[in-house]
Amino acid sequence: MNALLLTAVFGVIMMLSSFLLTSKTAIRGLAVSGMVIVLAANVLEMMGIVFFKIDTKDMIAFDRFSLLFNSIVFISTLVYFLLSARDMEKVGINYGEYFALIFFVLCGVTLSSSFHSLLILFLGIEIISIPLYILTGSDKRNLKSNEASLKYFLLGAFSTGLMLMGIALIYGATGTFSTNGITTSPTSALVIAGMLLLMFSMAFKVSAAPFHFWTPDVYDGAPTVFTSFMATIVKVAAFIAFMRLFNDEFGSLQSRWQLLIALITAITLFIGNITAVFQQSVKRMLAYSSISQAGFMMMAIFAMNADAREGLLLYSAAYCLATIGIFAVLMKLKDYSFDGFNAFAKQQPLLAATTTIFLLSLAGIPLTAGFLSKFWMIKAVAGTGKYLWLVIFAVLMAVVSVYYYFRVIQAMYFKEGDGQTIEASLPFKWTLVLLAGIIVLLGVFPNWIIYWLYF
Amino acid sequence: MGASSLIVLMIAAVAFSGIAILISKFVLKATTNKQKGEPYECGIPTKGPSWVQFNVGYYLFALIFLIFDVELIFLFPWAVVVKQVGWLALVEIVVFFFILFMGFLYAHKKGALKWM
Repeated sequence: MNALLLTAVFGVIMMLSSFLLTSKTAIRGLAVSGMVIVLAANVLEMMGIVFFKIDTKDMIAFDRFSLLFNSIVFISTLVYFLLSARDMEKVGINYGEYFALIFFVLCGVTLSSSFHSLLILFLGIEIISIPLYILTGSDKRNLKSNEASLKYFLLGAFSTGLMLMGIALIYGATGTFSTNGITTSPTSALVIAGMLLLMFSMAFKVSAAPFHFWTPDVYDGAPTVFTSFMATIVKVAAFIAFMRLFNDEFGSLQSRWQLLIALITAITLFIGNITAVFQQSVKRMLAYSSISQAGFMMMAIFAMNADAREGLLLYSAAYCLATIGIFAVLMKLKDYSFDGFNAFAKQQPLLAATTTIFLLSLAGIPLTAGFLSKFWMIKAVAGTGKYLWLVIFAVLMAVVSVYYYFRVIQAMYFKEGDGQTIEASLPFKWTLVLLAGIIVLLGVFPNWIIYWLYF
Repeated sequence: MGASSLIVLMIAAVAFSGIAILISKFVLKATTNKQKGEPYECGIPTKGPSWVQFNVGYYLFALIFLIFDVELIFLFPWAVVVKQVGWLALVEIVVFFFILFMGFLYAHKKGALKWM
């Protein structure tokens, strides 16, 4: 509850700051300090100190899982602000508003990670989506940005419609919005229809195939600094909502949806990885890589056991931090193609080294957080004892992903080129080093996150 | 019961729209003239091209109007229960006004009320 209210308050404060504060440094400082306060308040709530005790009539349930996830999201956003807040200046003149919209998105993230009612799920997803439509189109003079925004808006509205229809059908069958689980037996066709609609709309929000078509265009068209935010924090937030929904509400129907989720997972892994191989632009490659990573996270939805819950939290931390780091480096470059990275290591040895660690983490090489999170996912699926072909397929696809991640490393270290001149400030470099350090440490001590789930 | 009623609803929806189209096909006397090609068949004929630019500032006014509209609509249910709830209701409506006022202040400071 602390984080929910504080993110909304800071959203309004940032909105007002756009005309109260004239200096961009002050706005940035306010946003970063706001993020620190929100993070601190959320950590306090994990320790049992709640500032605002509001009776939500059992519509919102802040449990360990959602609080821990919120902390991960806030840490990621803090890192994102520290690394990339300076790049938002290039997008347009409305500097304070961008932060305000991001805070509103975080408010939605808090809601959708802790809902205990289908209405709150809908509200949370919408509060996430609407600021994102604006952020996608915030580069007003760029046609690609406009196209991406419109595409995202139309498809997003369509999937929201599906979700509402699903909620209506579930309500019609059970007579309640609370996600206490389907108990009516025999399961009526209304419940199944509603479940399918909810599944499809959530699969759209996490960009799982075959509902992924918007992802590359939107991620490519949006200003890179906001792509970084969308591809990481928002995506894992949608996954947490997906997991909560299918754990709380449809957990009793697992045998009905498991095969379908397994198929969606396999298709997502296949399409994401194979298409990413053919990309020429690193930004577009990262968009497809986000689809393939979504495929791995779908394995948690599929397994839905204790390992899956731990694994999804670990995965969201590993994936968010690594992708934010790569995007922060990518934003400094002018040429987004693979050739743009040629001889990058000679130019900026430190940045190239940290980028290599991020890419290794995404590819799932041991000693990084990415490896352990993939390991956790595969362990969770293997733990269900069924669908072993999914495990084998996922491992194969992880091997494919190594190809396109290592292409960047190869370009940085082994290719000749003139190299782009980029300026990177000292704090920026140190933040990246710190981020790489966190990723390696999480790869060695994953219990630092998982411990909090049971503490 | 659940599935059958859903199917009945779907069939009814398709049948309703289908019958409406069929009826209009039989009843209608087919005529064609130049007016049929117009976007709107009724109203005053347009003079000149209708693709004129109008000031984008209109939508800003509409949005600000919305702030006060929502404020007013929320006042009605509030007024019904204000006596029962007492002082808490007053505090709550002040908080609500404050939030809306923030939005209005933002619009004002950003120059949304200035006619360009």
